[in-house]
Amino acid sequence: MKELPQTVFVVDDDDAVRNSLRLLLKSAGFSTEVAASAQEFLSTYDAAQPGCLLLDVHMPGMTGLEMQHQLNVRGAAIPVIFITGHGDIPMAVEAMQHGAFDFLQKPFRDQELLDRVQRALTRDTEYRARLRQTERIRERLASLSPREREVLDLVTQGKANKMVAGDLGVSQRTVEIHRAHVMQKMEAGSLAELVRMMMAVAPPQ
Amino acid sequence: MVGPDDKGGGASEHDAKPVRTIIVAGQSSQRTREVLRALRGFTNVIWPTSLESALAQTSSADAGCLVIADDLREERVDDFLLEARELQRNLPIFVITDPDDVAEAVSAMRHGATAVIEIPPSYAVLCEEITRVMQ
Repeated sequence: MKELPQTVFVVDDDDAVRNSLRLLLKSAGFSTEVAASAQEFLSTYDAAQPGCLLLDVHMPGMTGLEMQHQLNVRGAAIPVIFITGHGDIPMAVEAMQHGAFDFLQKPFRDQELLDRVQRALTRDTEYRARLRQTERIRERLASLSPREREVLDLVTQGKANKMVAGDLGVSQRTVEIHRAHVMQKMEAGSLAELVRMMMAVAPPQ
Repeated sequence: MVGPDDKGGGASEHDAKPVRTIIVAGQSSQRTREVLRALRGFTNVIWPTSLESALAQTSSADAGCLVIADDLREERVDDFLLEARELQRNLPIFVITDPDDVAEAVSAMRHGATAVIEIPPSYAVLCEEITRVMQ
């Protein structure tokens, strides 16, 4: 599937700030989309779109922090860089506690903003790559038969074939056959790799 | 529960829970002394003699929270935070910072601080946060 291009989304109620940021980002080669309000952005935002978000803190109607909350409720993982002309520490700490990628106070140098945007885009790329990898692992797991899944679970717990055979009430030879099928379907070159795959899809502790 | 002026009276030996430590990391500066004064109502506040010792204490099972009191001079706060976070993933870590230093606060949060508290105006917020996490 073709990757969508990364986009830097800019949400700010000030026309001049939006235009200035759009020009700066465009001059640096970034694709941008702008919105004048949180509502405008949320009404069209598609989480499948890779990129990052430059978000003004103080906006009429829904504020930047409130919009961050809405994105969190939606499960959106887009890196958010807050921008403000008058931030304070409690506000910055709250934004970071709720998952903001960065928090910039004006005035800032153009290059500083561009560097942080690039880091945010890199973070998004890495995150989406991990998501795709996890999805591939889940697809492979779904292709296993129930018995193969049982063998996988026991083997990745560290049990030897002989013990697995005892647990399942089958011969060791049968376990070896199932294990070979598991390794093939999971595309794992080693037990260690298999364990890493299972850890990647394990629910967070 | 550990809080200011909590003397813990009346608990039997069977009911007694280990008291978790409040670790203060900082050089011998006015800021560190102010932090220690502000925390005098809490039990089990420790101020290790060195930053290495403070880091070692964070990995202890008794560690309740870590307060980074000042700029740590030679050590960078961010590096210290990263190391502390590596030792104890879920340990509450508070960083004290100068007022309006938003950049430092953001950096501390990114490197693993649970919260950043600006001083002045007062240490009341720090005491409230510590009381909350120690419950």
